[in-house]
Amino acid sequence: MVAPNALVGKVNEILVQAIGEPLRYLVNWGRLYSLWPVHVETACCSIEFGATHGPRFDPERFGLLEAFGSLRQCDLLIVFGTVTRKFAPRLKMIYDQMPEPKWVIAMGACAITGGLYFDSYNVLPGIDDLMPVDVYIPGCPPRPESVLQALIMLQEKIRKSKLR
Amino acid sequence: MTSVARSLPFPTEVIVGDKLSISIGPQHPGSGHFRIIVVLEGDIVSEAIPDPGYVHRGAEKMCEFRNFVQNVPMLERTTLPDANGIIFPYILAVEELMGIQAPPRAQYLRIISAELNRIVSHLYWLGIYGVFLGHSTMFLWPMGDRELFMDLIQTVGGTRVTPSYIIPGGARNDLPDNFKDKALKAFGYFERRLKEYDRIFFSNPLVLKRSQGVGVLKRSEAIALGITGPNLRGSGLKSDTRKDEPYSMYETLDFDIPSYPDGDCWARGMVRFHELYWSMQIIKQAVEKMPSGPFRSRLPLLTARAPAGEAVARTEAARGCMSYYVVSDGTSKPYRVRVSVPSFRNMIGIPYLLKGGHLADVPAIYWSLDYWPVEADK
Ligand code: SF4
Repeated sequence: MVAPNALVGKVNEILVQAIGEPLRYLVNWGRLYSLWPVHVETACCSIEFGATHGPRFDPERFGLLEAFGSLRQCDLLIVFGTVTRKFAPRLKMIYDQMPEPKWVIAMGACAITGGLYFDSYNVLPGIDDLMPVDVYIPGCPPRPESVLQALIMLQEKIRKSKLR
Repeated sequence: MTSVARSLPFPTEVIVGDKLSISIGPQHPGSGHFRIIVVLEGDIVSEAIPDPGYVHRGAEKMCEFRNFVQNVPMLERTTLPDANGIIFPYILAVEELMGIQAPPRAQYLRIISAELNRIVSHLYWLGIYGVFLGHSTMFLWPMGDRELFMDLIQTVGGTRVTPSYIIPGGARNDLPDNFKDKALKAFGYFERRLKEYDRIFFSNPLVLKRSQGVGVLKRSEAIALGITGPNLRGSGLKSDTRKDEPYSMYETLDFDIPSYPDGDCWARGMVRFHELYWSMQIIKQAVEKMPSGPFRSRLPLLTARAPAGEAVARTEAARGCMSYYVVSDGTSKPYRVRVSVPSFRNMIGIPYLLKGGHLADVPAIYWSLDYWPVEADK
């Protein structure tokens, strides 16, 4: 005869095993195709992001929605290029205000290493010190196609991620 | 009130008496990477303080560590939508310093690339302006048609936005054979589209309501503040460096300078709208008039030295008069490069234009100036 408590534990385990995986899949599937990006432009890469949102490339067919609305409803932060010393605290503030789960894409050489401005006195050498980055898009500026590829890579990552 | 707003590191919402100070930007979709501290009395803006500098990358200082040719791609990135237009005066100044003369064919090639960039830049502006007036169609149409001109820039310069096409001594490469056919086809289509743009946006009663009489800049004020480019022409002054001090081969081309006397958001938009048309006419004429011959006098060496001296050049970029002052001390790197950008001078108008207007008009006025923060901050 097993104790009732242990029985509850067993049932819980069975339940988790039975519905945990489908639940994880379902929740991730829901997040995957409705990514709301924060509208924060940091530098010149934003013009290619604007072009990405045009009709020729149309990221909405992959599930990247338009960059409008409050950042407390957003789950994707795309950093478009150079982050200067004046903007860095702002960017951190923006990241901290976003609710979990959240993902970060670093777009452009500037956001990765400082790029062309690696020796400038006012530019951060990449945003890794500020926040964890999920996908890096190299290029100066990256073509819209590579933005779309980064989006697909990020979706792969979300699909495989654990439930939090 | 001003002192309260200035003393805070991140002034968000501050209430003093019956005034409320709010910060628009640098994250708000209405302002790009730029902040305007707006002091409100009810719905009326009683004071607006621009706070630039979020994209200051030290381009002027960095020019001193790179040689004359390496500076071309670096300075180009101050205004990516208008890359060829922004680098044009720098090249003219460096050529003057080095004593190089670009061959006539190169002069026309430069005009073609600069005007293509003007179209692309104005279309980008139109898309953003449209969406901030609440007109989503006007985001999608210009962005879609812009890709046609992007393709043309790609055929000329090789990349979408950073061609570095204009270099000291001429242009980087010649036009491909199919450029003329491709360009004429695109222009034919786009000239038909311009009529539709006019019907759906510039003559749209709702857009007229939101832009006519909003943010009025009188002609005398515009001159006193030193506003430049389409914003100045929108205030009724026919001033354009292409006509006033023709450079390259602009004097051989026949074009008009659109200008509107009203000085409001609508007039500034109409000036750019007509410039789209005239830029296409300029390119058509340049392709016809272009003589055959070399497109570059000689390949500039990376270590090319310039004799000691100084040079100034100015041209008309998409946002207004753009000038460079280059000083050389006889080495292969410039001693000092002073970049004078049109966006910064247009920013001076922001506090005057916003004052006394409604809060809801802030995005309309802001975007009608075509302010590009990366350019102003350098
Ligand atoms: S990577 Fe290039 S295009 Fe992007 S922000 Fe940096 S300099 Fe500008």
